[in-house]
Amino acid sequence: MSATVPDRSPEFVATEFDGPAEQSRGKRMLGLARRKPLLVMGVTLLVLFAGLAVIGPFFVRDPLSTDVTNTFVAPSGAHWFGTDLFGRDVFARSVHAARLDLAIGVTIALIAMFVGTIIGVVSGFFGGAIDELLMRFTDVVLAFPGFVLALIIVAALEETIINVILAVSVAFVPYFIRLTRAEVLKERELEYVDGARLAGNRSWRVAFRHVLPNSLAPSIVGATLVTGYAVLTVAGLAFLSVGIQPPTAEWGVMVGEGAKDVITGEWWTSLFPGAMIVVAVMAFHFIGDEFAGETTS
Amino acid sequence: MVGSPHSLLRDVGFDVQAGEILGIVGESGSGKTMASLTVIGLLPGAIELRAGSVMLEGRELVSEAMTVERSSSDISMIFQQPRSALNPTMRAGRQVARVLEVNQGLGRAEAMDNAIEMLQHVGISGADRVARAYPHQLSGGMSQRVMVAMALACKPRLLIADEPTTALDVTIQAQIFDLMRSLVAEIGCGVLFITHDLAAVAEMCDRVVVMYGGQVMETARIDDLLDHPEHPYTQYLLKSTEKEIDHRVVDVGVNFALTGCRFSHRCPHAHEACNEFPSLYSVGEGHASACVLNKEGRIAAP
Amino acid sequence: MRRYLAKRLGISLLTILGIVVVVFFIVRVVPGDAASLRAGPYATEERIEQIADQYGLNDPIPEQFTDYISGFVRGDLGVSIRTNQPVRTELLDRLPASLELATYSILLAILIGVPLGILAAARRGTWIDNIARVLAVVGSSMALFWLGLLLIFFFAFRLGWFPGPVGRLAVGTEPPTSITGFYTVDGVLSGNLSVTWEAFRYLALPVFTLGFVLAAPILKMVRAAVIESLESDYVRTAKAVGVSGTTILFVDGFRNALIPVVTTIGIVLGFMLGGNIIVEFLFSWPGVGKYAFDAISTRDLESLQGFVVMVGVLYVILNVVIDIAYALIDPRIRLGKAVAT
Repeated sequence: MSATVPDRSPEFVATEFDGPAEQSRGKRMLGLARRKPLLVMGVTLLVLFAGLAVIGPFFVRDPLSTDVTNTFVAPSGAHWFGTDLFGRDVFARSVHAARLDLAIGVTIALIAMFVGTIIGVVSGFFGGAIDELLMRFTDVVLAFPGFVLALIIVAALEETIINVILAVSVAFVPYFIRLTRAEVLKERELEYVDGARLAGNRSWRVAFRHVLPNSLAPSIVGATLVTGYAVLTVAGLAFLSVGIQPPTAEWGVMVGEGAKDVITGEWWTSLFPGAMIVVAVMAFHFIGDEFAGETTS
Repeated sequence: MVGSPHSLLRDVGFDVQAGEILGIVGESGSGKTMASLTVIGLLPGAIELRAGSVMLEGRELVSEAMTVERSSSDISMIFQQPRSALNPTMRAGRQVARVLEVNQGLGRAEAMDNAIEMLQHVGISGADRVARAYPHQLSGGMSQRVMVAMALACKPRLLIADEPTTALDVTIQAQIFDLMRSLVAEIGCGVLFITHDLAAVAEMCDRVVVMYGGQVMETARIDDLLDHPEHPYTQYLLKSTEKEIDHRVVDVGVNFALTGCRFSHRCPHAHEACNEFPSLYSVGEGHASACVLNKEGRIAAP
Repeated sequence: MRRYLAKRLGISLLTILGIVVVVFFIVRVVPGDAASLRAGPYATEERIEQIADQYGLNDPIPEQFTDYISGFVRGDLGVSIRTNQPVRTELLDRLPASLELATYSILLAILIGVPLGILAAARRGTWIDNIARVLAVVGSSMALFWLGLLLIFFFAFRLGWFPGPVGRLAVGTEPPTSITGFYTVDGVLSGNLSVTWEAFRYLALPVFTLGFVLAAPILKMVRAAVIESLESDYVRTAKAVGVSGTTILFVDGFRNALIPVVTTIGIVLGFMLGGNIIVEFLFSWPGVGKYAFDAISTRDLESLQGFVVMVGVLYVILNVVIDIAYALIDPRIRLGKAVAT
C-alpha cells in the first residue's frame, strides 16, 4: 500500500484553507476600511486632531489678541470661524483650545489609569480587609456623579488647571479600579501566578511584575473612552467658568463666553468650538468602542 | 459558512424509522450537531442551507426558499445544557404550556393543566410545585425532564436529542435514558440521538451513523458496528477511546477544502484514491462504509 | 430577599456617612481663608473676623465637624451666607423644578432608547442598526451645553417654535397652585390648562437636550443586552418550540435583557444629578442645579456642601431603588434555590 501521500502537515493544511496568501498592503487596508469603517474614521479624526493640536498653533493667529474693530465678524475667508466679542479669531482660539483640551484629556486619563490600576491590583490581588476597605472608599467616591465631584474639588481648591486635572482624575479613578480589579481576580487564579510565587518572588513582586501587565488590556481600552469623557467634563466645568476661565482658549470656555451671543444670532462663537468637542469625543469613542468589541458584528 | 465556498456538511443523509433510535456519533466538529440543526431548521444565521431535503413520512419539509417548514408535532428537539436552555425568567410550567399554546392553540388554563400532566408523565413528582418554579431552582436532571416534557408535549414524529445527558451525572443519565425509551415506545416517534459517548450509543441506539469532518463515514446497526467496524475512522474510534470519544481533544483541523475523504489526512491507509469523494459502499445488510477500500468489500480491522 | 435588602440598606447608610465626612473635609480644607473668601474682596478685617465667628470657622475642626454632623442628623444643613436662608429650605423649594425636568427627560430617553435598541438588535447589521449605533455614539459624545445651545439657536431663535431659555414659564405668568410642584401636573389638577401648555413649551428644549444625551447609553445597552439574550440557548429552545419571532423578541429576549438595562438607567439617573447643573444653568431653570451653580460662583460653601450631600443621599436612595427593581425583575435574585432535584 505504498503510494505518494501528499504532505498533510497542519501548517500546510492551514495555508491552503486560507486561500491566496499574498495580498498587497493597500488591498488589505482597504479591506479593513470596509469592514470596520468606524474604527478607521475614529483613527483618522484622531490623527487630524493630534496634528491640529501639535502643529496647528504655529500656523494661526494669536488666540488672545483682540481687535475691537473687527468684532463679531461672521465666518469668512479671512476668519474661518469668524470673530468673537473682542475681535479674536475663533478658529485660532479653537486650534489652541484643541491643544489644551486634548493634552488635559490625555493627562487625566493617564493619571486616573495609573492610580486606578495600582489600587485595583492591590485590591484584587491581596483581597481580604484591604479589598473591603478600598471597595468602600470607591463606593463613596462613586456616590457622586463624576461631574459634581470634580466640581466641588475644584471649587474648594484654587482654580488652576492642575487642580482641574487632579479633580477630574479623581472622578475617573474608581472606574479603573473596578476594571483592573475584575481582571486581576481572574488572573489571580491562573497557573503562572503560582509559578511565580514558587520561584521565590514575594507577593508584591508577583502582583506588580506579573499580574499587573496581564491585567492591563481592558484598562487601556477604557483609557481611550475616558479621554473623551475627561474632555467633556473639563469643558463642562469650563463652560460654568469653573476651573479654566476666560480668556484662556479652551473649548468649554469658548462655548460659555459665546452662549449669550447665540440669542442675538452670533452662533459661530460658541457652536464651532462646541462642535469640535463633539467630533473629538466621537473619535475617541469610535476607537474605544472598537476595541471593546462593540462595533464589530 | 457564508463567504466561504466550502460546505460544512457533504453528502450527509440518513433515515430514521418510527420507534427507532438512530445514533449520530462523532468528535466535536464532526458536523453531527450541524446536521441535526439542519433537519429541524435551526441553523444559526451565518450558515445557509444550499441543497438538501428533509422528508417526514413522505412529506418534503424543505421549502423553495431553502427553509424547513415544520411544527412541534413534526419534529422537536432537546438540547445539551438543560438549565441554560430554559428561560430564566419564566416558570417551568409556563414554558411547557407555551408549547401547547403555540402549536395546538390551547387556551392558557387548558394548556397549563396539560402541562402539569405532562410533567407528571415525565416522572416529576410534585409536578404542580415544579411547574411554579423557575429554572434556576431545579436541578440538572429535573430541568432535562422539563425539556423532555416540552419536546414531547405535541407528540412529534421525530425527536432530536443533542447530547441530552452530557451535562448530567451518570445516575441521572440512566434515568433520562429510561424515560426517553419509555416515551418513545409510547408515542412511537423516531429519535435522532446525537452524542460523542459510545457507551450511551451502545445502550440506547438501534442503528448508528458515524460522522467525521462533515461527512458520513459509516452507518450500521449498533451490534454490527461494534463487532466489525469497516471504516478506518470507526476502527480508530473504537480502539482509541474504548467508551467515550475524548471530546476535549479537538481535531488538528479538518480541512474543508479537501475534495476527497476528509479523514485522509489522519488515516493510516491514505493513498491517492482518497482524493476522490468516497460514496457509501455496502458492506453487509444495513451496513455501509464510505471508504474507497470498501469498494471491494470488507477490510479487516488492523 | 429581606436579607438582601437589609444588607443593601446597611451599606447605603454607611455610604451616606462617608459622603458627609468626605464633603465636610473637602469643603473645609480650603487653602486660603474661608472667611475672607466669603466676606468678599472689600471686607475689612473686623468683618472677616465677624463672619468667621458667626459661622464657627474659628472653632477647631473636630468641633466644626460634630456641629455639622449633629445638625445633619437633625436635618439641618446650615445657613447660606449669600441669602441667609437655611440651606435645607432653599434646596427643598427648588427640588420640584429639578425633579420635573429630570422626570420628563428620563421618560424621553427611555422612549427613544428602548424601542430603538430593541429594533437595532432585531435588525442587526441592517441600516437601522447602523443608524442606531451612530446615534448612540453621537449622543454619548454630545456636550450637554453645546446641544442645548444648538437647540436654542435653531428652535428658539431661528424658528421661534419654542421660547428662549428664561426658565419654567414666561416672565409674567403666575405658576399654578402648588400641589405636586410639577407645573405640568399642577396645572391640570387646578384646572389651569393654559399654564400646563406653557410649562410644556418651556420644558421642551431642556428636556430634549437631556433626553437625547441620556438616550444614547440606554440605546447602547438595550441593543447589546437584547442581542446577547437573542443568542442564548433559551431563545434557541423557543425557536425550536415554534414561538413567533415577535414574541421571542419581547418575551424571551427583552425580559431577560432588563437587568443590564435597569443598571444603565440607574447610571443615567445618577449622571443627571450632575448634568442638571449645566442644563439648568443654560436654561435658567430654577432648580437645585442652578442653586449649586450660584453657590459656586459666589463661593457659598455652606450651600454647596448642602447640595453635594443632597446629591449623595439621592444617589444612594436611587441605588436602593434599583436593587429593589433587580429583585422584582429577576427571579434568581428574588428567590432562593432548590425547589426540586
